[in-house]
Amino acid sequence: MKGFVKYLSAGISVMLMAALLVGCAKPPTQEMDAAKVAMDTAIGAGAEKYAKEGLKSLNDAWAAAQDEIKKQEGKLFKNYDNAKAMIAKITADAAALKAETEKKKEEAKQAAIADQAAAQAAVAQAKALLAEAPTGKGTKADIDAMKADLAGIEASVAEIGTLISSEEFFAATDKAKAISAKAADISAQVQAAIEKAPKGKKKK
Amino acid sequence: MNVLRRSLREALRQAPWGLLLFSLAGCARNEPLEVRLAELQERKIWRAEVEVFAPDEYRAYCAQLRRAKDALIENDGKFFPFRDDEAVTGKFKQVLARGDEIQTLIARRRTAQEAGIAERLAAERDRIDRLDVLTTVISVGRSSREFLAKAELLVDEAESLAERRRFPDAEERLKRAATFTQIAKEVMTPALKRFVDQEQISLWRRKVDETIRESKLRGGYAIVVSKVDRQLYLYKAGRLVRTYEVGLGSRSISDKLYAGDRATPEGKYRVTKKVPRSRYFKALLLNYPNEEDRRQFALAKRRGAIPRRAGIGGLIEIHGGGKDGQTLGCVALDDHQMEEIYALADVNTPVTIVGARDYENSVTQAMRGL
Repeated sequence: MKGFVKYLSAGISVMLMAALLVGCAKPPTQEMDAAKVAMDTAIGAGAEKYAKEGLKSLNDAWAAAQDEIKKQEGKLFKNYDNAKAMIAKITADAAALKAETEKKKEEAKQAAIADQAAAQAAVAQAKALLAEAPTGKGTKADIDAMKADLAGIEASVAEIGTLISSEEFFAATDKAKAISAKAADISAQVQAAIEKAPKGKKKK
Repeated sequence: MNVLRRSLREALRQAPWGLLLFSLAGCARNEPLEVRLAELQERKIWRAEVEVFAPDEYRAYCAQLRRAKDALIENDGKFFPFRDDEAVTGKFKQVLARGDEIQTLIARRRTAQEAGIAERLAAERDRIDRLDVLTTVISVGRSSREFLAKAELLVDEAESLAERRRFPDAEERLKRAATFTQIAKEVMTPALKRFVDQEQISLWRRKVDETIRESKLRGGYAIVVSKVDRQLYLYKAGRLVRTYEVGLGSRSISDKLYAGDRATPEGKYRVTKKVPRSRYFKALLLNYPNEEDRRQFALAKRRGAIPRRAGIGGLIEIHGGGKDGQTLGCVALDDHQMEEIYALADVNTPVTIVGARDYENSVTQAMRGL
């Protein structure tokens, strides 16, 4: 009888502990939802393009938090405190990432706009120089070629605006820089042609 | 009732043992080192732009890593005697080995892509340069150069993107550049056809040979101008004695048909007058239009190929003023070279102007491989 009581008491003891400790903690679903919303907001702001590294860290942290929850779900003594802390950090980091993304995006936009202005100025300068360049008989044949080149480049200037409008700021900057370099090259060539051109010789 | 009461009392007395048992089952343990290494490796692989160079392999690797992590979680959740840490560590070791393979793959593919894009960039630049040469040798009109300028701009962008290892973007720019280059080529090809046409070149060669033969027979000077090469060849007694670079009419791609077409005439001419004080240093006036020119002019007018009020033009000269200058149809040389020719040539010196003197000319060379 005494032995039976002992086994029964041990069984009850285990069951009591289990009943007390198993299931008393619940996964932080609300916090997870909030974190996911914060992450999606950062992605929506353009984190994939402007803060790739930060977003990767956030995604890794999210996966680690999910693992932590899974780990706790498999335990009798569930404790989601660590997961909650991890998720709270993700939510805060996502908000910071959104702010960082917006800042970088604005910087990229301003840079693209500045590069667009520089490209337009470079093309305008080349155009002005070409207008000054001597034309007609007795002038450098290259001037005509340069005019055609500049026309091709000028047509591409409009593409910078299109890229900026579609928020392709890096692509806009790339194009603007290429245009500026080409236009500057033409200006230098025209300048050299003007300096070399015979003075006072006018077409009949 | 008593039994139950005693049992509960006993259970409370043994509760600490129970707690200890559960603690042992669920206590936190140190993760195998391989877990952390795998996480670091995944990060390193991602930073190496695996999504560009080995996206499929990366997906498979991530799935393998996921399975290993799930196995770790599952293992941790087990009661300690049933845990198999070695099996879990083994899974992570496999992940690490796969990750090493992917890193090698990325390095290999990156090198190959860098070389490939560099090769394609060089090839596209070569195509543009060849076409550019053609537009400068023979004025083929504005549109082809505009297309070439656009293509060159895109190649510049592609090069800059490739330097920053943004290969997919660089490839996209290269593709667009190739389209513009192709359009430029298609625009200029019809105009350039006669410079690579064997039959047409044979006709020109015949005229050149006749001129050289005449120089040989008379023992005097003869001038041959090849438009495509922008060269003036001076012969004496059938032997080439001098070669000069020349400037031509801005529409030198065509044979001259009428006044104001800015084309340099093609045909057999003679010096009709030596002009010692020309607007462009010194000049040798040619007998343009000759009989053939008049016939072609009349034919073109009948066909409506030239403006109704257009005249045939004249005053075609070989003059100074500089080889870099564009003319209205004359042949221009640098003044010191004009001085030489002026001194050597006489009235009646034969002057033959052809599109191309040789089968192998600037156009055929530039067109090759396009």
